[in-house]
Amino acid sequence: MKKGKKYPFLFAVVFLVFALVTAACGGNSGNSSSGNTPENNAGEAASPAATDKPQKEVTLTYSIWDKIQQPAMEAIAKEFTAANPNIKIKVEVIPWGDYWTKMSAAAPAGTLPDVFWMHGGQFVKYATGNFIEPITGKVQAGEINLSDYAADLASIYTLNGENYGIPKDFDTIGLAYNKELFDQAGIPYPDDSWDYAKLAEAAKQLSQPDKGIYGFGAKMDTQTGYWNDMLANGGSILNADMTKSGYDDPASIEALQARYQMTVDGASPTHQQLTDTEATEMFKSGRLAMIFDGSWRISDIDGSEIIKDKWDWAKLPKGKVKRANIINGLGNVMSASGKNKEEAWLFLKFLGSKRAAEITAEMGAAIPAYNGTQDAWVKSRPHLNLQIFIDQVADAVPYPSGSLAYPVWFAKEPEMMSQAWGGAVSVEEAAKKVADMMNQAIAETK
Amino acid sequence: MITLNSRSRYVWAYLMITPTLLGTLIFWGWPVLQSILLGFQRSENFGLVNHWVGLDNYVKLFNDGEFWQNLRNTLTYVVLFVPVTLVLSTLFAVLLNTKIKGLSVYRVIFFLPQVTMPAAAAMVWVVLFAKDFGLINHILGTKVAWLSNPHYAMLVLVIVGVWGAIGLNMLLILAGLQGIPKSLYEAAEIDGAKRFNKFRYITVPMLTPTLFFTSIILLIGATQIFDSIYLIIGKTNVALPAVRSLVYAYYQNTFVYFNPNYGAAIINILLFINIILTGIQFALQKKWVIYD
Repeated sequence: MKKGKKYPFLFAVVFLVFALVTAACGGNSGNSSSGNTPENNAGEAASPAATDKPQKEVTLTYSIWDKIQQPAMEAIAKEFTAANPNIKIKVEVIPWGDYWTKMSAAAPAGTLPDVFWMHGGQFVKYATGNFIEPITGKVQAGEINLSDYAADLASIYTLNGENYGIPKDFDTIGLAYNKELFDQAGIPYPDDSWDYAKLAEAAKQLSQPDKGIYGFGAKMDTQTGYWNDMLANGGSILNADMTKSGYDDPASIEALQARYQMTVDGASPTHQQLTDTEATEMFKSGRLAMIFDGSWRISDIDGSEIIKDKWDWAKLPKGKVKRANIINGLGNVMSASGKNKEEAWLFLKFLGSKRAAEITAEMGAAIPAYNGTQDAWVKSRPHLNLQIFIDQVADAVPYPSGSLAYPVWFAKEPEMMSQAWGGAVSVEEAAKKVADMMNQAIAETK
Repeated sequence: MITLNSRSRYVWAYLMITPTLLGTLIFWGWPVLQSILLGFQRSENFGLVNHWVGLDNYVKLFNDGEFWQNLRNTLTYVVLFVPVTLVLSTLFAVLLNTKIKGLSVYRVIFFLPQVTMPAAAAMVWVVLFAKDFGLINHILGTKVAWLSNPHYAMLVLVIVGVWGAIGLNMLLILAGLQGIPKSLYEAAEIDGAKRFNKFRYITVPMLTPTLFFTSIILLIGATQIFDSIYLIIGKTNVALPAVRSLVYAYYQNTFVYFNPNYGAAIINILLFINIILTGIQFALQKKWVIYD
């Protein structure tokens, strides 16, 4: 009896496993054949093509990490395919949190996407490992002109004289403020005259901790946080040739302490609160009067029903020494081990074209790097003062990436700073510890 | 004849375990070997280039104060978690082995944590232990930052760990309890044994093989605590250094700081510790485990 009952179950399991395995295999073979099998479509080839070779159907993968920019990237891909009907583009979004983990597994396996977004901080690792294709030859042949792009952004993706990437966009940091909360407190909106002292003072006046409303989100963050403070106060993150940390510079420490003081004063939510709810989210729900945030968050914030039409941007305040701001730019690169490099180059070239920049700008996705297309971006949201992001390029300092040590110290930095922001050690102590750690990381990767 | 027959039976037995054996070798044996090798190397280019560096990683590890702190944290967790779980699981198993109404309902309730998604459970605990609006502070009338105070964070992890572990271990012990012949208790009753004496002289000795098994499983599991630290404490929590375990440090070094070699050294030390601990347990079992 018992045995008789067991067998059908066993068969069911075996069948299920078999079904799953064959299904998985089917999926795999389907994938590989769709992309890479050359099919001679010479008969119906009518599209403008750069090569005289018979056209083959190709599907390229384009990996990005920002879901907000996906529609714009797909619009660009669509226009490219319209001009090159034999090349289809699959836009694939991998969230930032997993992006580099996935890429670092794909790189040694030779399965990097054909074309993908590159960040300045990760670039050196991929370039020195020969995982991404140099485009120096194409640049020298005049297929693309790297001086078409703003603020010398192409230099981010240049290593030892070789060019690897085409600038896609750039981003700067602005001061976002909630007009409604300013009106209620009877304080004039932030403008060009503001300095950090004024920011701290206004933050105190705007805070109503009993209602859960705070003047400023003094978050523990680098690019959209205290790096701007440190630079404006005359400090530095790294010295010019990236050999020594600037965290232990007294001016840097002073700026860090000033930011932390806002939490102590109750003008900002605590570190614990900001870990539970991201500062941008708090701003979107109307509980923060001011935050520093990046230009890439505009459509995200503007999409919040609570704050829509009640907020705007101002320049970052002036520091003791100067007005400062972090500028960073993404690039598009192509895999060195791709099977369809010719087609990938055509797409990469189009991504760097004026037309692609215009699409990016009109859809408000990001500030395009291509010179002369930024105006369209500023006009993409006329109700917001987006001009400040362009104006601040003049005060901006490049994002301190571009060395092999960067991914190491950048990953360790928040853990050490959280000790200060959580109140376990003094800001000065944490800053000095970060400086030691950075110097050691730089020494070890020489 | 007999040998041939038994040999052919062995062939069948080996054939039957081949899938598991292959799985173990490929998905367990090979990574362990790789991990041991990685500990003596320095990798570049995402592991495509490996230099042999001998004991460098281990020398650096032993001079790293953070490593010793992580080791202490892991052992503290084991020392707090294993005995409490073992005692509570046994207690609940004994209670649920009696004849009370709605027995299966209780059994399901205690087993429920086992089938709950760890991430979902962690989210609930985070809310319960929250400082400003958490239920636990509300009930106790306190204002303790359970999750970000280095003195309490370990306690929270032990509570969550025990809560999650009771279900399965209770079930194992329950099975052990039901394997004890009723005739032993009947005989004891005739001799006039009281309830406690029956527990002390029949239940506990007959349960020792099960307890031995569960304690080994618990110990090995406890040394590998990772997910609750990752999900409940988080990477920018000021209390992280007070609770960071060896496996968490392994994760950080390998996947966050991109240093798989240093991570491998940490995890190899843990493997070594587990082999020693299990060895000690096996050596001690002669003293207290009773097999019929």
